[in-house]
Amino acid sequence: MRAIAAFVLSLALAGCGALDHEAMVMTVEPGWTAELVASEQDGFASPDGLLWADGMLYVADEGGSAIRAWRPGTRPALLADARAGLASPEDLVRDSAGNTYFTDDTRGGLWRTDPLGRTTALVEPGRGMPSTEGLGLAPDGDLVVGDAPGHRVLKVSPDGKVSVLVGPERRIAKPESFAFDDRGNLYIADNSDNVLYLLRTDGSLHRAIADRSGFSPESLRFAGGALFITDSDNGKLFRYTPDDGLNAVALFGGSLANIQGLAADPAGALYVSVQSDLKGRKGYILKLSRKD
Amino acid sequence: MESIVRLSDWLYLLLNGLAGRSWLFDTMVSLPLDNALVKAGPIGACFVYAWWAGGGESDTRRRRSILLVTVASLVFVMATTKIIGDQVFQPRPFAHSQQSWHLEDGRLVETAKLPYRAPLNGGVANRYRALTRGEVEQNDLVSFPSDHAGFFVALALGIFLASRRAGGVALAWTGAAILLPRIVTGMHSPLDIAAGAAIGAAWLFAFQFAARPARRWALEPLTGWTLRHEALAAALLFFVAFESANVLTNVRDLAGTGEEIVDHVAGG
Repeated sequence: MRAIAAFVLSLALAGCGALDHEAMVMTVEPGWTAELVASEQDGFASPDGLLWADGMLYVADEGGSAIRAWRPGTRPALLADARAGLASPEDLVRDSAGNTYFTDDTRGGLWRTDPLGRTTALVEPGRGMPSTEGLGLAPDGDLVVGDAPGHRVLKVSPDGKVSVLVGPERRIAKPESFAFDDRGNLYIADNSDNVLYLLRTDGSLHRAIADRSGFSPESLRFAGGALFITDSDNGKLFRYTPDDGLNAVALFGGSLANIQGLAADPAGALYVSVQSDLKGRKGYILKLSRKD
Repeated sequence: MESIVRLSDWLYLLLNGLAGRSWLFDTMVSLPLDNALVKAGPIGACFVYAWWAGGGESDTRRRRSILLVTVASLVFVMATTKIIGDQVFQPRPFAHSQQSWHLEDGRLVETAKLPYRAPLNGGVANRYRALTRGEVEQNDLVSFPSDHAGFFVALALGIFLASRRAGGVALAWTGAAILLPRIVTGMHSPLDIAAGAAIGAAWLFAFQFAARPARRWALEPLTGWTLRHEALAAALLFFVAFESANVLTNVRDLAGTGEEIVDHVAGG
């Protein structure tokens, strides 16, 4: 019996050793191709928020407590790091004057790195922002900030004045990410209650997607007339339009399943950040582009 | 190792090639996958048969000892397949028919598509259609090793050790009605099945071997108790047979609910 047990055990272990496809991207929507464009070997630790601006990819490198600017094919440049007080940079935007704003879900507050490289708190954490999540740049130049503990969406002017855009009475559990559409409506991702909200310009708040199994919006990006959504709980990248509804573009599995931030370049390519091991400072940036 | 994978793929293509040709065939093949009674009812019946199969008291005690140890080993079989499944990312063969890339030496490399013939009817046909719409269960991205193979091979082998007649039927049903359709419909590759079966057999034999020293102080009193309290033992046996049909799904759900209750109570 011992010999039989040893044989079947070795067969089981041999089977395990035969498989090396520990991570996978599967495109569901036809016409996309995927490539890995950066990892921790390229100077990133575990990236979260992404933004494409001025021909560069701006990265909220949560694992590295840093904000980096990266032009594909080069080493990333450091804009700010823990020496400026960063802990877990979450999301970022950039205005037309070249200021980079970012949130920090550990340190809280709203931060700004100006074109000269000076990083300061535009809104100190003590001013009602103990932990900040999503960040958006409104068409009028104001910033919208997700206040997770307060269950609010705040509006911050470039000079640091704070007002409440969506109060806790509207019951958004965790405003994780924002995206403005081409009409100025604001999409809000709530990855705690798994709801995609739409705040119209008239102030009305709608649950665009709710109570849908297998959907938990993490990051939003409006590009090419559609809203793209990462879902880290389910390892999926979605495309949403009010007319076509929600459709999966790609599935991510294994060590690539924890997809976080999302950016789109002018050519329509999507950049997706992956936190494969936040504590171990491991992650990737993937690029999905149209074959045509 | 590559030759094992190639052999597995070849066998998979051969068997999956049977699907998608006849609605009746696909419906019959899908039945054990979609219907718990068809899948596990005969195995439960074999287990009950082995429990009560004739013979003297010492023979009955021997059979029941084997069956009780078999049931205990199933928990470890399921835990092992779950732990390995969490570590080894291997989509189901029907998912491998989609365009995909895998990580290799720090690069995303396009994965060779695995041809797939979708069944014309049944649950897997629906899952495949859902996959092409992007509605895929996370469970469909983890197929190695097959937990069904581990569970039912361990159970059927245990029944076989207790009763050759009942065990022969259970093994035949496991192979023909539970495992083979999983390959034909693209739910598992032969390698998934072989690894799951090996884990099931490994735990079963390990438990049967390890239980020998416990026979006198644990198993004999326990089997004696089942003989003295046949009605109560039969009632408990019902739970075992019922849960076998569900591959411990309810037990696992119950454990999850228990965890939630503990968290709720602890969290005030």
